[in-house]
Amino acid sequence: MQTTLSINGTEHRLDLDTRVTLLDALRDHLGLCGSKKGCDHGQCGACTVLVGGRRINACLTLAVMHDGDEITTVEGLAEGADGGLSPLQRAFITHDGFQCGYCTPGQLCSATGMLGELAEGWPSHASADLDGNYELSQEELSERMSGNICRCSCYPGINAAIRDAAGAEGRK
Amino acid sequence: MKDELSITGATGEALPHDSAIKHVTGKAEYTDDIREPAGTLHAYLGLSTIAHGKIEALDLSAVKTAPGVIDVIGPADVPADNDCSANGMHDEPIFAETVEFLGQPIFAVVAESRDQARRAAQLAEVKYTELPHATNVMAAREAGYPNVTSPLKLERGDITAMEAAPHRLKGTMVVGGQDHFYLEGQIALAVPGEDEDVVINTSTQHPSEVQHVVAHALGVPSHSVVVNVRRMGGGFGGKETQMNLFCCVAAIAAKKLNRPVKLRPDRDDDMTATGKRHDFVVEYEVGFDDEGRIVAVEGDYFARCGFCSDLSGPVTDRALFHADNAYFYPNVLLRSHPLKTNTVSNTAFRGFGGPQGLIAAERMVEEIAYYLKRDPLEIRKLNFYGGEGRDLTPYHQTVEDNILDRITDELAESASYKERREAVIAWNARGGVIRKGIALTPVKFGISFTATWFNQAGALIHIYADGSIHLNHGGTEMGQGLYTKVAQVVADALQVDAGLVKITKTTTEKVPNTSATAASSGSDLNGMAAKDACDQLIARLRAFAVEKYGIAPEDFRLYANRVHLGDTVVEWDAFIREAYMARVQLSAAGFYKTPKIHWDRESGKGRPFYYFAYGAALSEVSVDTLTGEYRVDRTDILHDVGRSLNPAIDKGQVEGAFIQGMGWLTTEELWWDDKGRLRTHAPSTYKIPLASDRPRVFNVALADWAENREPTIKRSKAVGEPPFMLAVSVLEALGMAVASVADYAECPRLDTPATPERVLMAVERLRGTR
Amino acid sequence: MYAFEFERPGSLDAAVKALQEEDAQALGGGQTLIPTLKQRLAMPSKLVSLKGIAELQGIAQEGDVLKVGGGSTHGAVARETKGIFAGLSLMASKIGDPAVRNRGTMGGSLANNDPAACYPAALMATRGTVVTNTREIAAEEYFQGLFTTALEEGEIITSIRFPLPEKSNYQKFEQPASRFPLVGVFVAKYGDRVGVGVTGASEDGVFAWKEAEEALAGNFAPEAVDDLWVSAEGMMSDLHGTAEYRAHLVKVMTKRAVAAAE
Repeated sequence: MQTTLSINGTEHRLDLDTRVTLLDALRDHLGLCGSKKGCDHGQCGACTVLVGGRRINACLTLAVMHDGDEITTVEGLAEGADGGLSPLQRAFITHDGFQCGYCTPGQLCSATGMLGELAEGWPSHASADLDGNYELSQEELSERMSGNICRCSCYPGINAAIRDAAGAEGRK
Repeated sequence: MKDELSITGATGEALPHDSAIKHVTGKAEYTDDIREPAGTLHAYLGLSTIAHGKIEALDLSAVKTAPGVIDVIGPADVPADNDCSANGMHDEPIFAETVEFLGQPIFAVVAESRDQARRAAQLAEVKYTELPHATNVMAAREAGYPNVTSPLKLERGDITAMEAAPHRLKGTMVVGGQDHFYLEGQIALAVPGEDEDVVINTSTQHPSEVQHVVAHALGVPSHSVVVNVRRMGGGFGGKETQMNLFCCVAAIAAKKLNRPVKLRPDRDDDMTATGKRHDFVVEYEVGFDDEGRIVAVEGDYFARCGFCSDLSGPVTDRALFHADNAYFYPNVLLRSHPLKTNTVSNTAFRGFGGPQGLIAAERMVEEIAYYLKRDPLEIRKLNFYGGEGRDLTPYHQTVEDNILDRITDELAESASYKERREAVIAWNARGGVIRKGIALTPVKFGISFTATWFNQAGALIHIYADGSIHLNHGGTEMGQGLYTKVAQVVADALQVDAGLVKITKTTTEKVPNTSATAASSGSDLNGMAAKDACDQLIARLRAFAVEKYGIAPEDFRLYANRVHLGDTVVEWDAFIREAYMARVQLSAAGFYKTPKIHWDRESGKGRPFYYFAYGAALSEVSVDTLTGEYRVDRTDILHDVGRSLNPAIDKGQVEGAFIQGMGWLTTEELWWDDKGRLRTHAPSTYKIPLASDRPRVFNVALADWAENREPTIKRSKAVGEPPFMLAVSVLEALGMAVASVADYAECPRLDTPATPERVLMAVERLRGTR
Repeated sequence: MYAFEFERPGSLDAAVKALQEEDAQALGGGQTLIPTLKQRLAMPSKLVSLKGIAELQGIAQEGDVLKVGGGSTHGAVARETKGIFAGLSLMASKIGDPAVRNRGTMGGSLANNDPAACYPAALMATRGTVVTNTREIAAEEYFQGLFTTALEEGEIITSIRFPLPEKSNYQKFEQPASRFPLVGVFVAKYGDRVGVGVTGASEDGVFAWKEAEEALAGNFAPEAVDDLWVSAEGMMSDLHGTAEYRAHLVKVMTKRAVAAAE
């Protein structure tokens, strides 16, 4: 089936079997192997990508469901034409937000989407405050990142990195 | 820009992980990301659907005719030996003819695509004659199942002293297993070459063993098999021996069909068909005096080993080696029972049996404390190794480096143990639904492979004529930062920036006969081997400098990216160019073997460990006694890594190990049904810790005053496994909260994993309502 | 997955037409259906994506009723019902994880009727209505046991109508790995009645705990259910929790929900 995917700003026209997941399209058809296949059940978050700025599990969606969608993968997170790292990427390095690194692309896409949600005032059920101005408490952050497993359990580093980047980017 | 005074990346510096930038940009390549060579085929395993029985008929006609299928591989296709056992016991077939667990590989399909292979594998028609099965320790004992390997007995003093002990308590503890749940699953890509050659790209902690086992199955010399590992997406012990099977299948298919073959099971099959942490049933008796001082300990350690031996021998041995944890047992008798069961063969997992032995020691301390109505920390300190005639372990090694008194005192002080314990008791006295518990537990962990010959390592260093450095060693990178640490050792020794040192994939082509990256030994062994290679290179460079510049040997000095030759200072790269032009050999192979260690398993005596690593944790929890739900409110850790090679990496290891240990003891439950099917085979049924499970307050510190008394690399200590066991503090704190409902009159005896339902059952048991 | 065709209709009419083909199946966010297809537990001839259909979107208060478009994602429900229907907003905010909430839809969840799904508890407690392209179905008629509903082949949930309660709350005791409820209890208080919907617990799927509803109608306080007792008979029992534990949790969660209702 003909499907057009816009990935990290580049349009790709693909002829895909309807059964191909977005994750397999990225990895096997486009050679974008940054998004990882951890569980392939939508439970581990290693395949998290952004569709229209919203985070989703690429293994739990069919590529043909995304005709015309704007998709961002870990390969597209670096900012600017020079490919400089985003504040979040830099913070993950500074705070040691990984060990084996396999969950890192998903954590970064998820955290990028999460910071966007935060900027738009999306609440979480851990939010105490209803006026759309949320402090990133540890509890709040843990809830908002609950879809991304790190088996090395680098959560202290991941949390510190996200909080740092959230501050560095300025809260809207 | 180069700093005039120092290098970047010296040992002791918090240098970021070597792949940091690649990790955050998605460019770090794992085995599944390697661009597949043209013509790559995909294999998939056909697994048994019963726990025990004979295969009477195997009809693969539908498999063979399925779309895309090229071939089906079975026992007859194994060129030499249908065996992938890690230990030479020849008890682990690549393809089973008699089924010994549900999920055992019986054939493999090779197809053009992975999906085709996966679909075709479901089409086999298998006729079995079923045999009775025993899937757990209790059933295996009742059925009289054998041990998978010879058991160990440790004995010291006179166990009949038990009879004279003022108090004696007996109990049983059930300790759960654990799935590794490495996020990157098992995977092998085998590429056939000329002659008998095959190159395997895979994700194993033990490339040399894969090489050996594949050569054995193919019937070719080891020199024909190359195994490459750049990095793993987590290992934790689950890729120490478990990759043998997948590499054998891929290699057999690749050689048979003369095309590259890739094999990657999906998550459910990975969890079903690969080994896990051994669960144990421990039967213990402890005798003690009125003060709580232990007089005698007798223990039987029954382990669910699965259908074959794999690493169960050394794992159950290590359970006994840590059955004392930090405590002196004047009279002791310990026996291991590595039982065969009709389940997947259990294997290495961070701690390697040590945690299961250690946790039973802590249970005995709890028993004594509740019986005598004393603070468990007092009982612990009373029984620590140390003092006249109180430093000999059950395996007759003298504990020479104990620092637990200082560690526990500092932690108790800095985290206000005494005051907080009083506050917890006062809180519980109010009798509400939410109860609290607090516990401080220590860890002493022996470092070295107990198989003495594994304690060797090699490294290969090239300095190229432009001054850049190529580093290779036998250790593998699974996220623990080994590559970074060893690069720091090299940078420090040669006094160049770490950026000048290129870390290269682990390959059997460069360093032969390596040991598994396991037993926390990676940086101890490989760091020293790399240091040895550096020392050789430095000696040659010094000899050259002495000859060329006419300086005294002691006037040659490498420092901060420069070579100091008496009063002359030359840039590193310029000097290397001179050495090259003068035909100095700029490549060296380093080697290291751990000194002092020896072990006689027959007599149960020796010095299996070079040294011990220590640590302690203090955890406070809240438990909802209506539901059994709980949370960890605060954990403080003080851990000993000697003189840290990289404090950022070491701290990450301590934090990660603790949380993974919490998972083992709280939420991670393996569940087999009565047919022997593992029902917790996916993340939707098997719960590993999330960010929200970490302690609400989490203070982790390295004991900055500590240093290894043995001359290890820079006086550092191993860090991978020891902090895993700090999580025992959480279990004991949960126990205290539970015990509060009966005024601490009874030992809560929480088995693991302490799921909310199990906690609630314990509450009801102590209240006498169940 | 078995092979299937894929269609992206732009209107409800086109979707209804596309679903007339034998074994065609509607696809919402796919968060349940795609795993089901991967395990080859379903074999549709065609998937009809409901994503681009405007008629299925929109969350709006209409008098004392909240209308939620069948294509609304859990994330949208969580955000847009906050301040209107606290219990439903809370429920939606705890489904799965953030990525799942960005894709999964209320219509998809209710059509699937997983015995451990959350929304059925809210629909049952409120005695809400499922609106399809052809008719309206009351909650008590809609749920017909595990994975079974009153929906006919090809029928599409266009919206869900919840009578807005004065107070409401949802308490979920999670099966920690999947984050589905081991037991979930939704409590909705109206002027003259109280609804208590229980999900995750029973072998027959969602149910209204009528004894609690009666007791709470007289006295909307946690103590009102103190003397009630939930039988373990008919409760699910599996590796995540015994029937006894689930029965015990129904009462504990109900009391929590009453205490927290706002």
